[in-house]
Amino acid sequence: MPDIDYSFLDDDLLIELSQLELDDYIIELAWSSNGENLAAITVEGKVFLVNKYADIIKYKLIGQHDKGGNSVSWRSDGKEFATVGHDGKIKIWDGISGNEIISLEAGDSWVSKAIYNPHSNWLASAAGRQLRLWDTNREVFYESSDHSSTIADLGWSPDGSGVAVAAYNGVTLHVPHKQKQPRKYSWKGSSLVLAWSPDARYIATGEQDSTVHFWHRASGEDDRMYGFPTKVLELSWNSTGRWLATGGSSSVILWDCSGKGPAGRKPREYLAHSNKLTQVAFQPTGELLASTGKDAVLAIWDPMKHDKIIGRKILSAPASSLRWNKNANLAIGQEDGRVAIFKLKS
Amino acid sequence: MLDNNKYDRIPVTVLTGFLGSGKTTLLNRILTENHGKRIAVIENEFGEIGVDNDLVIGAEEEIFEMNNGCICCTVRGDLIRILSNLMKRRDKFDHIMIETTGMADPGPVAQTFFMDDELREALNLDGVVTLVDTKHVLLHIDDSDEVKEQIAFADVILLNKIDLVSATELDQLEARIHAMNSAAKIYRTQDAVIEMDKVLNLGGFDLDRALEIDPKFLEPEYPFEWSGLFEFSAGDYYFALQPGPDPAMNINFRLADNASEAGMRETVEKAVLVFSSDEISLKSGSVIEPSEQLSKINLEGEKLKYILRVPNAGSYVLYTEHHPEEFAAIITDAAGNQVKSLFNREFKPDHEHDEDVASVGISTPGDLDPKKFEPWLRDLLAKQGPDIFRMKGVLSFSESSERYVFQGVHMLFDGRKDRPWREGERSNSLIFIGRNLDREQLNKGFSECLI
Repeated sequence: MPDIDYSFLDDDLLIELSQLELDDYIIELAWSSNGENLAAITVEGKVFLVNKYADIIKYKLIGQHDKGGNSVSWRSDGKEFATVGHDGKIKIWDGISGNEIISLEAGDSWVSKAIYNPHSNWLASAAGRQLRLWDTNREVFYESSDHSSTIADLGWSPDGSGVAVAAYNGVTLHVPHKQKQPRKYSWKGSSLVLAWSPDARYIATGEQDSTVHFWHRASGEDDRMYGFPTKVLELSWNSTGRWLATGGSSSVILWDCSGKGPAGRKPREYLAHSNKLTQVAFQPTGELLASTGKDAVLAIWDPMKHDKIIGRKILSAPASSLRWNKNANLAIGQEDGRVAIFKLKS
Repeated sequence: MLDNNKYDRIPVTVLTGFLGSGKTTLLNRILTENHGKRIAVIENEFGEIGVDNDLVIGAEEEIFEMNNGCICCTVRGDLIRILSNLMKRRDKFDHIMIETTGMADPGPVAQTFFMDDELREALNLDGVVTLVDTKHVLLHIDDSDEVKEQIAFADVILLNKIDLVSATELDQLEARIHAMNSAAKIYRTQDAVIEMDKVLNLGGFDLDRALEIDPKFLEPEYPFEWSGLFEFSAGDYYFALQPGPDPAMNINFRLADNASEAGMRETVEKAVLVFSSDEISLKSGSVIEPSEQLSKINLEGEKLKYILRVPNAGSYVLYTEHHPEEFAAIITDAAGNQVKSLFNREFKPDHEHDEDVASVGISTPGDLDPKKFEPWLRDLLAKQGPDIFRMKGVLSFSESSERYVFQGVHMLFDGRKDRPWREGERSNSLIFIGRNLDREQLNKGFSECLI
């Protein structure tokens, strides 16, 4: 394997804003839409809120899911966020004060995921095989158990009209109010994660059988990409929807989805880490890409310019969550319970 | 040092057995016993009673096919999800127990640890422990594939509830189970009472440990149970027996090169051949001369006596189908003085193979040619993978100074180089546990891979 090229490395690219010690494996981080507040959930179910007051970053433990935590998501207006865990509950928190607003019963056992609609106050939750959609009044207005296994991942379509569900046997797209039956994107395999392209042409999935599928949303056909040494749990689209970055190996792989799509095109490969990738994330606005590996290295790329690392930090443990905000701040949740926040030099 | 320990692979024990076999009793015992381990439990959703422990997670069996609907590539999706989550809190426990439902096929559970790269790195399938309700299994062993599979997959089998069956039934059951899975350790228990070190940290999928535990499990089976070497002068000796459990038995009386254990050992293979040839039936009082002839001696009646006629002084070996003690057999000279064997050896008897699930052990010296062995095994697994539940082995490859250890489940195979061979130690031993296995074909195919 060729060596990683550091000739474009700028040691000052990343400026550390903060290092927080939350002392428990970080399952997921999420930024509020204005980029001012950061929520974290840990494996033991602890919920933290990180606020920025005039350049000072403060965090506090605001509550807990008994038995364990699974995911966190902000409402589009940034006023509240939702967390879910092994206790069968969705908890809604005030985004500024951190007060618990309400605790909703959402399943018999684990609630694996709850995500807010990108444009409204709707919330989609998954517990076992069951998908539930909650309205502004926090009432369930749509449910479906039409899935072949426990739901592995969820994603609202970019326009917010529907929710795609990843499970065993592929993807199911639910569009409440518009279609009577959910639409199936069937594949005899276990889809673990999904990501909508921002232009909604594709639903990409990472699979247990070490493949990535690009489902053409409209036609229902898919392109399958083989060659990953491990199952693929890391997917991130760039802001235009042309490129999908994937993990599943020690390199970042970029698939070109312009025109007819990725089939038959050689993907770009970015030699990143000495061990398997754990996270990969494009900036939601902007061109940069961040990746982390089991080697506990954070690497920053400008992938449209060249395939060399431009920024690098050694972390104290591998990253388990990696989130950019719109202000080009990067939050990294780690397996050792630390949260590191960086900004890019201007 | 601490960091190394932290990232050691965590042992996982899989507990199988039918409803009512005592799984939950054993689980409770394991959780409450003072063994100093912190155990995380993944319980099937139909658990018989609750288990009082902090890290108990319920699982609903979800079987995922991985490729083209091949049964060998099925995994348990629920376990992948739950175990991946447990790996994020690995500092909270030292051992994982997975309790399966009574009807569960252990195959997908075991395969999960081979097929998922994340789990393979972090976890070590320590062993499959199968609980058997002795009374129930006597009724269902013939018609239940699940019972057979749970027995075939096991590293340890607990014959539980032994108070409900007779001693004879128990002996017969144990013999049958042993014939099906001769690599498993079998214990008889009541209320699942067992020492913890017999069910935890078995290294059951670690062949080295398995061989240390029972070095005889790979020994070939013989058509005789006993042999003895005697120093005889020329003349007649008397082989006197009492009636015993069998009406007749085969024996072979033959010359040995010298009066040593090695001298006796050299005659074993020839005796095996003789025992597969046609026998002549003899009545009490008949004369038997040293030869390549198989004699079937009648054991019915009183004062049974056969004459061993020795032409020249020397070393002779007597092979008997059954153990002579069963017939209170003695050998005397013409004067009536008892003559004892200088050496004797007991052999593992050749069981009746009426089971469709059975074990085939191969044990042979020599070096393997990897160019021959790999295609042979690949072909074997492609054709018979669905029928092979477990396999384990230690192999000696030419051009390698290290032992090669492997184990597998159905078509999945995991092998690696192990420690260097010691002086005079090189040999191959492997075992297949499966259905419809052809002992002869497997032996032949394997020996053709030798250099």
